[in-house]
Amino acid sequence: MNGWMGKIVKINLDSMKQETVPISAEMRRQYLGGRGLGVKLYTELCHAQTDPFAADNALIFMTGPLTGTVLTSGRYQVVSRSPLTGTICDSSSGGSFGAVLKSAGLDGLVIRDRADHPVYLYVHDGEIEVRDASGLWGLNTQQTQKAVQEQTSAKTSVACIGPAGENRVLFAAIMNDKDRAAGRGGMGAVMGAKNLKAVAASGSQLVAISDPEGYKTLNTRIDRIVDKNPVTGKSLQVLGTSVLVNIINAHGMFPTENFRCGVFNDAEGISGEKIAETLLQRQSACYKCPIGCGRATKTRNKQGEGPEYETVWAFGAHLGISDLTAITEANYACNELGLDTITMGSTIGCAMELCETGAWKEKMRWGDAGKLLGWVEDTAYRRGIGAELALGSKRLAAKYGRPELAMQVKGMEIPAYDPRGAQGMALSYATSNRGGCHMRAYMISPEILGHPVFLDRFSTAGKAEIVALFQDISALVDSTVLCRFLQFAMGISTFTDMLRVVTGLDFSDNELMKIGRRVYTLERIFNNQAGFSRRDDTLPPRFFQEEFQTGSSRHRVVRLAEMLDNYYSVRGWDKDGVPLPQTLAELGL
Amino acid sequence: MIDLDKETLAKMIDHTELSAHSGEKKIANLCSEARSFGFYTVCINGAYTRYAKEKLEGSGVLVCTVVGFPLGAGTSSAKAYEAREAVQNGAAEIDMVINVGALRDKKLDLVRDDIRAVVDASQPALVKVILETCFLTDEEIVSGCKLSVEAGAKFVKTSTGFGAFGAFPDHVRLMRQTVGPDIGVKASGGIRNFKDAWRLIQAGASRLGVSASVAIVEGLSLFKFAPAAWLEEEIPCHICPSRFANLDKQPKAVYAYYKKKCLACPHLEKFNKFYE
Repeated sequence: MNGWMGKIVKINLDSMKQETVPISAEMRRQYLGGRGLGVKLYTELCHAQTDPFAADNALIFMTGPLTGTVLTSGRYQVVSRSPLTGTICDSSSGGSFGAVLKSAGLDGLVIRDRADHPVYLYVHDGEIEVRDASGLWGLNTQQTQKAVQEQTSAKTSVACIGPAGENRVLFAAIMNDKDRAAGRGGMGAVMGAKNLKAVAASGSQLVAISDPEGYKTLNTRIDRIVDKNPVTGKSLQVLGTSVLVNIINAHGMFPTENFRCGVFNDAEGISGEKIAETLLQRQSACYKCPIGCGRATKTRNKQGEGPEYETVWAFGAHLGISDLTAITEANYACNELGLDTITMGSTIGCAMELCETGAWKEKMRWGDAGKLLGWVEDTAYRRGIGAELALGSKRLAAKYGRPELAMQVKGMEIPAYDPRGAQGMALSYATSNRGGCHMRAYMISPEILGHPVFLDRFSTAGKAEIVALFQDISALVDSTVLCRFLQFAMGISTFTDMLRVVTGLDFSDNELMKIGRRVYTLERIFNNQAGFSRRDDTLPPRFFQEEFQTGSSRHRVVRLAEMLDNYYSVRGWDKDGVPLPQTLAELGL
Repeated sequence: MIDLDKETLAKMIDHTELSAHSGEKKIANLCSEARSFGFYTVCINGAYTRYAKEKLEGSGVLVCTVVGFPLGAGTSSAKAYEAREAVQNGAAEIDMVINVGALRDKKLDLVRDDIRAVVDASQPALVKVILETCFLTDEEIVSGCKLSVEAGAKFVKTSTGFGAFGAFPDHVRLMRQTVGPDIGVKASGGIRNFKDAWRLIQAGASRLGVSASVAIVEGLSLFKFAPAAWLEEEIPCHICPSRFANLDKQPKAVYAYYKKKCLACPHLEKFNKFYE
């Protein structure tokens, strides 16, 4: 078999029973792998009422047919039901874990039930060993990875949880290859609920390539495509993702103090340029990645990876903090403890506003950089106010009677682009299958960065079509599994070419887009069954009611109503956001 | 509806690198991209003609060399010599810059002879004549097109990319109307994405001179999905040369010509808020 390794293993952690999951050729063609096949398997194994922390919930690690092959193919996807949102969720991470899992002989791993004591899984040569992790429980992610490597091999790639996952913090991340994170949606908490400390992989199996000559030529072409694009070939390489700080701030949509302002006066001080001047040690890159957006950094006290744009925002502008060292060390702490930085920062921002309004009688104040690290650590261990922050902003704000102060969609915190500054981004957030996420349809690309063309960011015209298109492409790329930054530079046809030379299967561009649409619709069906509908495809009231008074997005509000019906129509869903029978038939669902 | 496939689009592209600071590495990359995507030619400065020809050996991609570039103000014999040498070094197409000053002075014989000298020196290569439309009125563009055809050129081309502005659909349309269906029209300058390219193709361009060729070809497969949303009708003033008229970069009379045109335009009242 070309592309795929041909083996997905299901393991039950209570009985330790292992079995191979049969995947038909048809299913591979319809869902590819990664997010697509992961969601398909999840919906077959679990139902919409499955408690994310219940033993029978499934946690699925998936690679795709392109993992370990072309450029940027070290990634993997984790699929389960999110304890933070209750939606179906996939979380993606870079590094090399995905490629190594394939070299260990597996396309994916389906984990069910709960071990009666902490364990980790060691995958090598197509076999899975269940090993005792009692001695690892309580270690942070860096210590865990090191310890597992000492017990296995220095070449082992490890995906693990830290204390946050062990303590089932609702936004706990899975960390791999030191500082790479499957951050969003609390997949680390699901892992912790299974008493699963880590999944480790090592191996030397090669992915079979259908057309080795074509593969070589294509890799050269991809390299040229990436290099020619100003985002992938220049900005991300030189300044990392934090290149966006000054850009988004200049557009008046850099959310400041819990989205109450779109301009952060100290943006320059926390920008990618400032990181390069003060903290940057070197550029870092994932497996076979010519972009290298990673930043190896160092403060006076510590060193590590990042912060990335979303983190700079979450611990910076969002909290009114301009101390880059404090932001960076909070980021390091999240990496070590295994926390999603976006939800962590956003929840602290929500808490600050709750405190300011008097709804919560705590002393959390804007700009208090000195306490930031403590709040992060307390959250991971659920200590003191950290026990409440560990709930995420939606539950926290609801608990203190001000639900409107949580800047979230479907329970997931909205990241670093204020939707009042980009109507397409607003629709993307509102309709995202996993909640307030920028990665489902990154409308910043056409609305701010001009890729593939500039679209008027304040216009709603045509946005429904483009958001649906971007959501489908994202689902497709996540199913292949490649880095989404490739989307800045590539059209569909290059993905088609990649799949052809690697797998030997001839897909058309239309067929690939249909895969993306199928995956997105299947996720939607699950969410509908879990109780999500049109009323959840919305944003916090702040975005409809409050205008900025300064910056280049001033006097704007989100005009979701102008886009939502059209979006449902484009998707083939009814007015309540439920896929129509003919849509299901067309997609083979 | 976009009735264009990737291969056809690639064959409409002269993949271009004309920066003064480009060295062999950039030219090698340019050739690698052209080979990989199947562009029609690489369009380069004369110093790299032989090098590019070697890099493209066996690929089917041609070499196009610029002559009298970017000002077009040299003597005809110098242009002819440059063209002859380029062809000897492997150029299959020559993009020459017209004598813009002579055209504006209405020294039409001089302009025609200048082009003819290059056409004769370039045999058997095909010659495209760069009008540098940003420095011309519509009347002068029409005149430049006619003189090019009379002198034996096979293409007329809008811009060098070094002038006040690049290619606009209005100019391409005018050039196509003037030269008819049998002569090529090459749009060049400021074409950054598929939307720009598509507008110019719709206006009558049969060849595109672009540096962003890779992005344009990659863009096609995105634009095929949701084309109406990508290509929604836009404010005509946003793609009008009058809007880009620039007194610092254009002759005073040409600048005034475009601004006068703007004031008489039926779109003015509806779209161009600048004048409100």
